[in-house]
Parts: sequence; structure tokens; C-alpha cells
Amino acid sequence: MEEVKEKIVSIEKPDLIAPPDWKPVIVGILCNWCSYAGSDLTGTSRTQYPPNIRIIRVPCSSRVDPWFIIKALQTTADGVLISGCHPGDCHYISGNYYARRRFLVTRELLKMVGFHEHRVQFSWVSAAEGSKFAQVVKKVTEDVIKLGPLHLYKKENFSK
Amino acid sequence: MDYSKQIQDIAAKLFADGKIDVFVGYRMNSFDDNQIPVVITDPKEVAELVFTEKSVFNLTNYLKADHTRNKRVGLVVKGCDSRSLNLLLTESQVKREKLYIIGIACEGVVDDKGQKMQNCVECIVPDAVVFDEMLGTPKGIRDYIVNADIIELAGKGLVERREYFEQIFENCIRCNACRHSCPLCYCAKCCIDQETATIYNGSNTSSSAFHALMTWSLHLAGRCVDCRNCEKACPSHLPLHLLHKQNEKVIYDNFQNHLAGVEEGDRGAFYKYSLKDPDDFIL
Repeated sequence: MEEVKEKIVSIEKPDLIAPPDWKPVIVGILCNWCSYAGSDLTGTSRTQYPPNIRIIRVPCSSRVDPWFIIKALQTTADGVLISGCHPGDCHYISGNYYARRRFLVTRELLKMVGFHEHRVQFSWVSAAEGSKFAQVVKKVTEDVIKLGPLHLYKKENFSK
Repeated sequence: MDYSKQIQDIAAKLFADGKIDVFVGYRMNSFDDNQIPVVITDPKEVAELVFTEKSVFNLTNYLKADHTRNKRVGLVVKGCDSRSLNLLLTESQVKREKLYIIGIACEGVVDDKGQKMQNCVECIVPDAVVFDEMLGTPKGIRDYIVNADIIELAGKGLVERREYFEQIFENCIRCNACRHSCPLCYCAKCCIDQETATIYNGSNTSSSAFHALMTWSLHLAGRCVDCRNCEKACPSHLPLHLLHKQNEKVIYDNFQNHLAGVEEGDRGAFYKYSLKDPDDFIL
């Protein structure tokens, strides 16, 4: 039995239909002490999670300048996942509290200029939550597949 | 609102007493009735100084220029300008003892068409918060008003907002006048220049404009004082205040009614935190 594939339409640009072999690219920016160790645990415990995520390791979630998110969206990413330690667990005592403020403002600004709110997502994953990391990546990937390809302000649109 | 005479007297007295080397004020434009900023080093030029409701620019921008750096400066500030001055003082960009500040209890300035500017209609702090001398009668702090354009945009759909902002980013010519006119953009090397320096994307595409304007506004979030120097400088007349006012609204609503530069010693919303900050959007 052959499955009938639904057309995937970009939510921000409804006239844009994704090619049939389109696969989302998700940039994951993970904190070294919790989420990166958590993703490592997911791997070592052989839990399956979508291979669409490309992981970048940063020292702390407060190292994530809003610029990183903008840059990821402008280049290849269809979605961005940023993950850090749970509040109170930060290796540098309070880094994730500062980061939390920036995330909220960045998210709201991106929402206003016309990005769907699921394009950029945030999570707290500790080093012991290997299964939670798999769930988070699965959820983000499913969300981005529903939204379709991101074709806003992409650099490659202008490089040819 | 005409304080020209008082400002001329104060500046002449400061020069005579040897208290200042430089005075930054406004003078009439030579070909129309608008005003431009002027940096005076010669006491004879003091008679040029004016201050009326056409004095729109934020003069604290000139504190980062070479001709005022490490000199004793006299300065005229309105309410919004004094907030950016407060931030510059907190961020150790200027020294308080080297400044003589003439604060204005501002009644609002007008644009080219003679209408009151939008940020003056919605102004929260009309009186100067840092000053050595105050001109006019202070009116106190007003209630926060959410920007009318932001409310209008929030009612629109996703696709509509995307189309609207795509137009804005397309019209940007990447001249960076917004950055140069901003009193709080004082970094010697700016991170958004990395985009233009690369050989494969040097032109003014909407992609690079998106990158530059979004990064710029997010680096000013929690510090922007809504003086609108950027908008006055923009040759494409882009509504740059939308980006800043959106950030300001989110910060005011979520982070204990924070307003940049109103309190002395306040470093901006991103330099502090509260355990009760909202995190319901985080998975």
C-alpha cells in the first residue's frame, strides 16, 4: 500500500511548496554541562531520535547571543532548538536565568517579524534526562515538519 | 517651549568660568527652520545656540565622538536623552564629573510637518533624570502606554506581518546610519559588520538587512530609551521603532516594569534576573 503524501507548505509563505525530498534542518545549541551531556546519554543508552538536528556545543546557555539564532535562521536552519540546565542547576550559578530573559524577548521579536513561534524553541534538559532530550528533539522536528521549509531572508537566495 | 536665551546665558557663563571646554547644543539650520546639533569650542559662537520644540536630536550621541572625549563638556538633555546619558554613565562611557548637564522639562518635540512626535505623545519620562540645572517645571513620571503601531501589528496574521516586515528589510540600504546615530551603540567593533565583511554577501540584500537590524535591536533590548535618533537618521524612513518598542513592551510586561535608564545605576534588563521570570514557553 502506497502512502499518499500531503503537500508540505511553508507556513510563512503559503505559495511555497516543499520538494518531496525535503528534510528539515534543525540547529541545536546545547549547554556543555547539562544538555550536551544529556544528548550524550541519549546516544550511549541507544535511544533513537531524529537525525535532523545539528548540535553546537556552548559553555552555557547564557553564551547564546540572540545573534546566533538570527544567524542560524538566516543561513540553513528551518528551526532552532536551544537547551540548557534547569533553573537552579547552572554550572555558573545563574547563567540560565540571564539566558531565560533573552530567550523570551528574542522569541517575541521573531514572532512579530513573521516567524512561527515553533521555529525557535527552548528547553531545559539535565545531564540525567537522556529520554527527555530524545522527546524534545522529536517534538521540535515534528513541529518544524508541519511548518514546512523556512524561506525567509535566506542567504542562499541571493548568492546565485 | 523656548529656552534659547537661558541656554545661551548658561553656556556663556560656563565658558567664562572655565568650567567647560566644549558645549554641545542645537543651532538653526542654514537653509530651513529645522535645527542641527552643534559642538561649540569658541565662546563667541554661544549666540548661535537655540532650543525650541524643533530640537529633536539626542545630543548624548556626541559624547562618544573624538571632539568631546576626555574633555569637559556642557550638554543639553531632554527626558529621553537623559535616560541614555544615565545608561552611558552606568556603563562607564562618560565621567559624570566632566559633564555639566542642562536638563529640560520637555513638553515634546515636533517632526518636519509640525506634528508632535509619536514618542513624545507616548512619553513616560518627560523630565531630565540627570542634570546640574533644570529648565522648565518638572511634570513627573507618566503611565506606560503601549505603542499604537505594536497594538495594530499584534492584531494582524502571521503572513501579513511577514509581508510587512519583508518590505521593511528590503528597503534597508545597509548604510548603518541607525547604528551610528544611536547613543548606546558605542562598541569600537560591531558584530554586525562581520556580515558585510565577507566576500560572498557584501551587498544590501534583505537577508543581510534582516541580520543587521534584528541583531542590532536585540543588542539594544532593555537599553533602548526610545529617543528615535535612528529613525530620524534613516534615509529610507524605515519604522525602526517597531523593533525596539516590541522589545520594550515584552520587557515591561514580564520583567517587573523595567524601563531603561530611568533609575540611576540601572544597567538594563538583561544584566539582572528574577527567579520569577516567565518560563512557560520553555519545554
